[in-house]
Amino acid sequence: MSEFSFLVDGVQTMAANPKMLVMWVVGALLIWLAIEKDFEPALLLPMGFGAILVNLPLPGVLGNIAVDAAGHTTVEGAPGIVTWLFQTGIETSEAFPLLLFVGIGAMIDFGPLLSNPRMLLFGGAAQFGIFLTVVLAVLLGFPLKDAMSIGVIGAADGPTSILVSQTLGSAYMGAIAVAAYSYMALVPVIQPLAIKLVTTKKERMIRMPYNPKSVTKTTKILFPIVVTLIAGMIAPDSVALVGFLMFGNLIRESGRLESLSQTAQGPLANLITIFLGITIAFTMQADRFLNIGTLIVMALGLFAFIFDTIGGVVFAKILNIFLPQGKKINPMVGGAGISAFPMSSRVIQKMALKEDNQNHLLMHAVGANVAGQIGSVVAGGIILSLAKVFLA
Amino acid sequence: MNLTTLAIAFQSVIGPVESDAIDHSLELMGKGMLGIFIVMVLIYALIVGLDKVTGGKKEKQ
Repeated sequence: MSEFSFLVDGVQTMAANPKMLVMWVVGALLIWLAIEKDFEPALLLPMGFGAILVNLPLPGVLGNIAVDAAGHTTVEGAPGIVTWLFQTGIETSEAFPLLLFVGIGAMIDFGPLLSNPRMLLFGGAAQFGIFLTVVLAVLLGFPLKDAMSIGVIGAADGPTSILVSQTLGSAYMGAIAVAAYSYMALVPVIQPLAIKLVTTKKERMIRMPYNPKSVTKTTKILFPIVVTLIAGMIAPDSVALVGFLMFGNLIRESGRLESLSQTAQGPLANLITIFLGITIAFTMQADRFLNIGTLIVMALGLFAFIFDTIGGVVFAKILNIFLPQGKKINPMVGGAGISAFPMSSRVIQKMALKEDNQNHLLMHAVGANVAGQIGSVVAGGIILSLAKVFLA
Repeated sequence: MNLTTLAIAFQSVIGPVESDAIDHSLELMGKGMLGIFIVMVLIYALIVGLDKVTGGKKEKQ
């Protein structure tokens, strides 16, 4: 009967490592959140299923792998499919998150920002939570490279979080990706709480007339090109992120590549999303994922999201000190300076209408929100640049 | 007491914390936010510049 031992090998391996069973529950929870609660289902469902896949006993989808202390993977023999996807699409080239940016760039209309460029300042201010979280993570005992990676969860930008944590070689990449996408889905819950914490009803009722300037097609075409040039010169480590985002946007705005634009927004983004989710699950192997650090990363991610929102809101309140009556900014618009687009701007519009059913802030919030897209990739690039100095 | 030479080291939830790491994280916060605002202000200036150049062209047309 020994030739049938393979039938029980898996069960024996599971019994020796019950943590894998816990990861099945984590995977099931992510799938439940995706299907039942509609939390970023495009990412959480593949990640949840992937978490189950990579926690099956025996080589399976991983192959015979070993991970060294620095987090680098070595494979004995042929890699399993998930290992291969991770090595090819993330570890060696960061191709998946970057290609996803082409799709995101093609989806974004920078028009509301170009017609009201002061909203850019909120896209900067609302990155404050990232840096505050880095300080807190260091105080909790995380090494600086992990603290920097954890902080970027606050960018509310999954691909940037994945790219920074991979580039810095963080041991918490799986937890960071789960936190980034989970909290992005929770923006409608987190942001109203954070905004109400630091604003009065009177402030939330401030009306802002919307008189957009017309934006020429030439401006829309030149914008992605010149922003890439600026990013390349000022923050060279952000150029891959900014460049791919702006490349997607240039395809959109060129007016000559409608088919490519639609492909980037639809099939390309969808394909990458499917594989990104299941590939990130590589980092959710039980031995790596189940530790106190993961739980703290999740908590720090929430902290980063809250303080990003608060950073944008407080910055608007500071600007209001200097602005004349009638030109004041509704501080809630500052909170839209995070990268969760378009969810954050919708949340602000909903909150504004709740306070005053004639107060329409949507277009201001959209401007701040797309500025947040730029701000988050710039923040990611600046963190990578500063990492070279501090981690040298 | 000279605060600049004050060395802090303690054991936290995840691991040991050195004063160097705290200094670096605070420096990162200052330089990071400054860097973001510099880039954003440059892009702001760029948009205003582009609007002036291409807006003028539009008026002529």
